[in-house]
Amino acid sequence: MVTLQNKDGSPLHPAVNYMCEKMPRREIDRRGFLRTIAWLGVSVSSARAFLELPTEAHAQPVKIGGRLRFACAIQEISDPALAAWTEGANLYRNCLEFLTEVDADNITHPYLAESWKPSPDLTVWEFKLRKGIRWSNGDAFTSEDVRFNVERWTSKNSKSSNRTAFAAISDFETIDTHTFRLHLNRPVASLPEQFYAYTCPILHRTFDDTGANWPKNPLGTGPFTMTDFRVGRHAIFRRREGYWGTPAFLDEIQYIDMGTDLAAQVAALAAGQADVLYRLTPSELDLLAKLPHAKLLEENSAQTLVLRMQVDQKPFDDIRVRRAIVLAADNQRMLSIAYRGMGIPGANHHVAPMHPEYFPVPPLKRDVAQARSLLAEAGYANGLDLTLTLGNTQGKWEQDTAQILQQNVAEAGIRIKLNVLPAAQYWPVWDKAPFALTAWAHRPLAIMTLDLAYRSGAAWNESHFSDAEFDRALDQALATLLPAERSKTMETVERRLQDSAVMVQPYFARNLAAASANVQGHRAHPSQYYRMDRVWLN
Amino acid sequence: MGRQPPVLRLFSKAVGGACATMLAVSLLVYLTLEFNGADVAAKVLGPFSAPDQRYAWMREHGYLEPLVLRYLRWLANFVAGNWGTSTYYKEDILALVAPRLASSSILAAGALIVIVPFSIVLGVISGVSEGSALDRAVSSAAILATSLPEFASAALLTALLVFWLNWLPGTSTMSTGFSWRELVLPIAVLSLSSAGYIARITRASIIDVMASPFVHTARMKGCSWRRVVLRHALRHALIAPVTLVLLQIPWILSNVVIVEVFFAYKGLGTLLYEASLNSDIRLIEACSMVSVIAVVSTQVLADVIHGRLNPRIAPWADDALRSRA
Repeated sequence: MVTLQNKDGSPLHPAVNYMCEKMPRREIDRRGFLRTIAWLGVSVSSARAFLELPTEAHAQPVKIGGRLRFACAIQEISDPALAAWTEGANLYRNCLEFLTEVDADNITHPYLAESWKPSPDLTVWEFKLRKGIRWSNGDAFTSEDVRFNVERWTSKNSKSSNRTAFAAISDFETIDTHTFRLHLNRPVASLPEQFYAYTCPILHRTFDDTGANWPKNPLGTGPFTMTDFRVGRHAIFRRREGYWGTPAFLDEIQYIDMGTDLAAQVAALAAGQADVLYRLTPSELDLLAKLPHAKLLEENSAQTLVLRMQVDQKPFDDIRVRRAIVLAADNQRMLSIAYRGMGIPGANHHVAPMHPEYFPVPPLKRDVAQARSLLAEAGYANGLDLTLTLGNTQGKWEQDTAQILQQNVAEAGIRIKLNVLPAAQYWPVWDKAPFALTAWAHRPLAIMTLDLAYRSGAAWNESHFSDAEFDRALDQALATLLPAERSKTMETVERRLQDSAVMVQPYFARNLAAASANVQGHRAHPSQYYRMDRVWLN
Repeated sequence: MGRQPPVLRLFSKAVGGACATMLAVSLLVYLTLEFNGADVAAKVLGPFSAPDQRYAWMREHGYLEPLVLRYLRWLANFVAGNWGTSTYYKEDILALVAPRLASSSILAAGALIVIVPFSIVLGVISGVSEGSALDRAVSSAAILATSLPEFASAALLTALLVFWLNWLPGTSTMSTGFSWRELVLPIAVLSLSSAGYIARITRASIIDVMASPFVHTARMKGCSWRRVVLRHALRHALIAPVTLVLLQIPWILSNVVIVEVFFAYKGLGTLLYEASLNSDIRLIEACSMVSVIAVVSTQVLADVIHGRLNPRIAPWADDALRSRA
């Protein structure tokens, strides 16, 4: 009989035994078990052995060496904590590392932190860091570096989204050079998973003192060093000696900015000028299918579009108007046409079936007649004129989705005018426009997104939604450990959001990318977090 | 026959006109982008900056002064070469623009090198054999080339040469250093429209000249067709096309943006495009002024060359000469 062990050998958290009992009775599924066990500090390999799952192994022998060319936008990355785009994060991800790592199956693994253990009430978390890690300038990596980062994220002046994400942290206690404790003001079950967000790499403790501009002084603990960086042009990384872990397989990675036209990037792939493309949209699928030596990478993802209305602006302050729009929208049709059906329909509450805490609250049935009568009740019997602002930040499928909504609601007498801005001009106004379309990235837990986007007063609450009962239910969900119980709480969360008709959230789009056939070990990650040290070229 | 004035006088007259044009455009550019100082502060400091931060920045950079003073200071800085720092690329703008200008010039020069021989040869061939099957074929091809907009011909050529035949690279980022193969498609797309147009003009011009009396005289004196065309007709027929080629340069410089963006070529066009999308005011100003200078200087050159080719309509021609035109 295999026993579960904590990574550091200490006694197991009390909930672990409870979960072990539930497992054979099928009250938790395997994935939920693995995820939750990982948060509690249990070693994943012992958990897999417990479940009698085969250990992971490479299908083919690995080839060391080579240079990979990755086509993606090269953006400004002076301060990783302020990063707003995942493309930039994938650059510094080669040099900077995180406390934990979440793989494409949403399971949390140790990274810079070797092990962690929560208190029984989940308010005190003790982390042990790996020993022997050195920065690229030779300094030792200690808990002082982590303290510097955590305090920086949560400080009052912090402009980073981390301030909201880690608002529960009330104190950082250093125990010794490789151990620290985080004290939380409310219980959070999924804390380790949140440390892999793209804004949370661990920077050297002298970052602020040396000008707070990472590319000028690219110190890191990771497997690569950055040898050249030019915004809008390229970023080049070479394998670094002295890395604490398994050395990377590739000698060099070149990230090349090939512009915003995705068809041109596919042309580059066809001509052998690039080996990996960062992202594709359904428009390029036919073109890609014609290339014999390229493969499509796809992965289910919780990335989505929200066509949200600000609940404190006329005419959206009247819930009847919002409900009319939501009832007239045809989410399934938007998915089929704008994204070729490659995704999962959404139910306007921003929680996806793939999320472990999902509670099945089904989508609304389209009802144009009721939409009309609601509008008439609200005083718009002759119809309503609205402007929808959008930026096509992820591709033209955003505009296509908006056009279908435009057609849907026209049947109910609502006339929407689309205000399409270039992506860079959309970001300054994304949370100011009363009716706008914003793309949201995948997060492994729905509550991470809900916390950032719909909690009263949250940093990225673009709809100004504020509901005390929703906040309470969300707090409870964040503190609940067991997936089944959390789902029950989530029913309240999802229903309140759906009933408030804050937005039309039509579908969760699959993540699409492409690579040359000789690129191995590269998988389309749902969050588009790409670790390149385990990728090799045949 | 008028007296040809010294080179200095004719150049200074042309340059004077050019400067006046550039001054007018600089005023327009400045007013469009920097009329409201608060907007400039917001764009430089970012959307999350606080009002007091912006006010402090405005005071520091002289934005609280009257518009005229600000404009003159900006102009003085521009002429002196202090173009500022880019908010998007975070680099000194002069250092950023210079290599990009060189890259775009390579494209434009390459396009001209392709356009001139191709269009003139094809135009002469089709003009000389007016009405024949060859003429019809060349004319149709020329019309087709002129009618296709750049984005269409770019997509068409890419589909043909990159995806189907695999002959050429799909993008022209020059990430592995300078590469001739990566220049082929952008130059081809840039040349296509102009070449078709100039070919048609050359054809019309040759037909016109071949019908003139002195050509008949040459034939009756016993010259072969070849001698007639090459020695006598061509220099007259070429006046119009050569002028038009020079006049096409501004058109090429503006269309270079489309071609550069399509092929991800790092030239002045993509620089201006990125600057515009990211509201990088200083960079937009610099790129606009550089484009204006490029266009105006080529036009001055065009006037001078045209004047040499056809003394009757030169800028320095006196009235006696002009009345004999």
